Amino acid sequence: MRDVMLSGRLATRGGGAVRNAVHLLALVFLLLAIAFGVIAWAAGDTFYLRLATEALIFAGLAMSVDILLGYTGLLSLGQALYFGLGAYTSAVVLRDIGPSFWLAMGMTLVLATLAGTLGGFIANRVKGVYFALITFGLAQVVAKVVYNTRELGASDGLIGVPEITIPLGLFTVEAANPAAFFLFVLAFVLLLYAGIAYLMDTPFGRTLTAIRANDRRVPFLGSNPLVYRMLAYVLAANVAALTGALYPMLRGFVSPELMFFHTSGNAVITVIVGGVGTLIGPILGSVLLTALRSVVGTWTEHHLIVIGVLFMLSVILLPKGLIGAIRPWLQHRLTGSETPR
Amino acid sequence: MTKKTSALAAALLLTSAGTALAADPIRIGVVTPLSGTYAPIGQQVRWGLELAAKQVNDKGGIAGRPVELLFEDEEANPAVAVQKAEKLFQVAKVDFLTGTVNSGSTLAVGQVAERNDRLLATTVSFADSITTDKCSPNVFRVNARAGQQSAALAEWLNKEKPKSKVFFLGPDYEMGRSTVAAFKQAATDKGASDAGEVFAPLDSKDYTQYFGQLRASRPAVIYTSVAGNDTVRLLTQLEEYGLLRNLTVVGASGTVTSQNIGAIGKAAEGFVTGVGYSPEIGTPENKAFVDAFRAAYKTDPDLYGADSFGLIHFYKAAVEKAGTTATAALRDAMRGIQWQTPQGTKTMRGGDHQAVQEMYAVQVTDGKFRIVGTVPGEAAIGQDLCTKF
Repeated sequence: MRDVMLSGRLATRGGGAVRNAVHLLALVFLLLAIAFGVIAWAAGDTFYLRLATEALIFAGLAMSVDILLGYTGLLSLGQALYFGLGAYTSAVVLRDIGPSFWLAMGMTLVLATLAGTLGGFIANRVKGVYFALITFGLAQVVAKVVYNTRELGASDGLIGVPEITIPLGLFTVEAANPAAFFLFVLAFVLLLYAGIAYLMDTPFGRTLTAIRANDRRVPFLGSNPLVYRMLAYVLAANVAALTGALYPMLRGFVSPELMFFHTSGNAVITVIVGGVGTLIGPILGSVLLTALRSVVGTWTEHHLIVIGVLFMLSVILLPKGLIGAIRPWLQHRLTGSETPR
Repeated sequence: MTKKTSALAAALLLTSAGTALAADPIRIGVVTPLSGTYAPIGQQVRWGLELAAKQVNDKGGIAGRPVELLFEDEEANPAVAVQKAEKLFQVAKVDFLTGTVNSGSTLAVGQVAERNDRLLATTVSFADSITTDKCSPNVFRVNARAGQQSAALAEWLNKEKPKSKVFFLGPDYEMGRSTVAAFKQAATDKGASDAGEVFAPLDSKDYTQYFGQLRASRPAVIYTSVAGNDTVRLLTQLEEYGLLRNLTVVGASGTVTSQNIGAIGKAAEGFVTGVGYSPEIGTPENKAFVDAFRAAYKTDPDLYGADSFGLIHFYKAAVEKAGTTATAALRDAMRGIQWQTPQGTKTMRGGDHQAVQEMYAVQVTDGKFRIVGTVPGEAAIGQDLCTKF
């Protein structure tokens, strides 16, 4: 374990600047988001605040993909499974048991951990393209089961999720209030971000990076890669499910489309556009893509072509994503002399 | 807003400038699938609405105000549909919303309408739940629901083949099972007997494995709610095994459509289904509608196009009766209102917001659907099961 830390230190000598650059971007993002929230609130807006809230919720899903893809080197094509699991759990709890935010989140945490462990045992038996296919298959199977289960609303989904009040100790947040709920989700997603970013900086995170680099050598460092892959998988499942649980609080319904490949695929695209392995990149990517879809979708019905072309251009011109393109420049500015990695 | 609609709106403003120089347009939001699997349905919705809006605007608009249509692509995904609906309500400030196709979208967008205190009507979704157990005070349906389609078919069956033995074959998923259950209920209520049922997986390649059970039960009629290429395989295999002799095939309205009728070929001959519209309807109103539709878009309208066309007249009648576009007054005006459509006069039932309309039994003859029976609206509508308002 000490070796891992040592090699981690060596690899990121001057990594302080890398971290600082990314954390600075996160701070800028937070300030811009708060400014947006205040302006939109002052202008009496509802739509853009709620659209931004949705973008942040899908940013959580993208972060969960990034934990697997960017840190552990596992491409999950079925992360919507856990996002949908969280959304359905939260919807059912709020609708049929009681409009309690903490109960919904608690149930989601328990179910996502169970489902993530089970799914992890299946998917982590294989690597590479097989892992991608297994995760894809798992999500399709669960989506079809939900699609055909009358108790879960089948193809129609569940409507009638109440607009809840979220008690936060000193004060409460009304989910129906667009500005308040936006700020709440912003805080929630950025806390998740901070938590994951911290975790990725610990020996645990370094081991995940080592697995991505060369998982055959990890046992020589005294770590069992399978254990770490399982932990990463369950962590990612929980991140996806907890943000998914916020979806019905915003939109008041869930539908099986939330679990479809469409949702998983979009999350992967978001991560690649934003910057793989940066965590803040997926958040920025989600905000940008959601805004772009909304604008282009109104402008032309051929919006899928426009988004597709932009995606290809971004892969060709910005192979490391938005953050990957900004980071070297920012690092350079921060340290004055650091050569970009 | 697309270029097309803005050009349309501009043209309308010019033509109606004499009568309504200062009148604000009435804005109707249309959230409909313009891309993906359901795009052909969305296209019919769009054509029907645009044609009706143009005709209404040429005659001075609704209460002197021109109609403006604002389209948004919902990708047949409720999660996209709610976002687009909210945009139309909050940013474009539309007075009314329509266009949703799959019932999940209609239900979810209906809830958005409720929370924004605006009204919505679907012209396509036929899931019974929208105007029964999941009904909403803000949602209306101007097209026929699944229950009306199976009631019309059961009515025709009772008239043509009373007390016959019916075998049911559905696709094995939730919707397939519920359509079979609904038709079985409607048919057995009229005196038909149940010869057995079987559910085949979606996308089955081989239906012959069920033919033994089918023959053993000796039915006079087989009901099926499979769709698309499944229908092609089922009917051609029945034909190859010689089982179509002395057997009447009836089915859901989506079983045999213009998309797969060519591939089924002569095995489709004699197939009967219940529908809410057919371009064959012989009334002068429908002839005028079909001619105008063909002239504008070089193709026949289907039921989605016709019901969407009728929607503009429904809204027009309601606004003129209420004298306003305000939600509460308009809702009251819509309840019980009668309006003209290509199918004739429809009535909006106040208790559950479901349109009551004449239904048709249509049969495939020489590769084309011909009307073989008409069922009065009251006979097909069924009970009001909405308890929410």
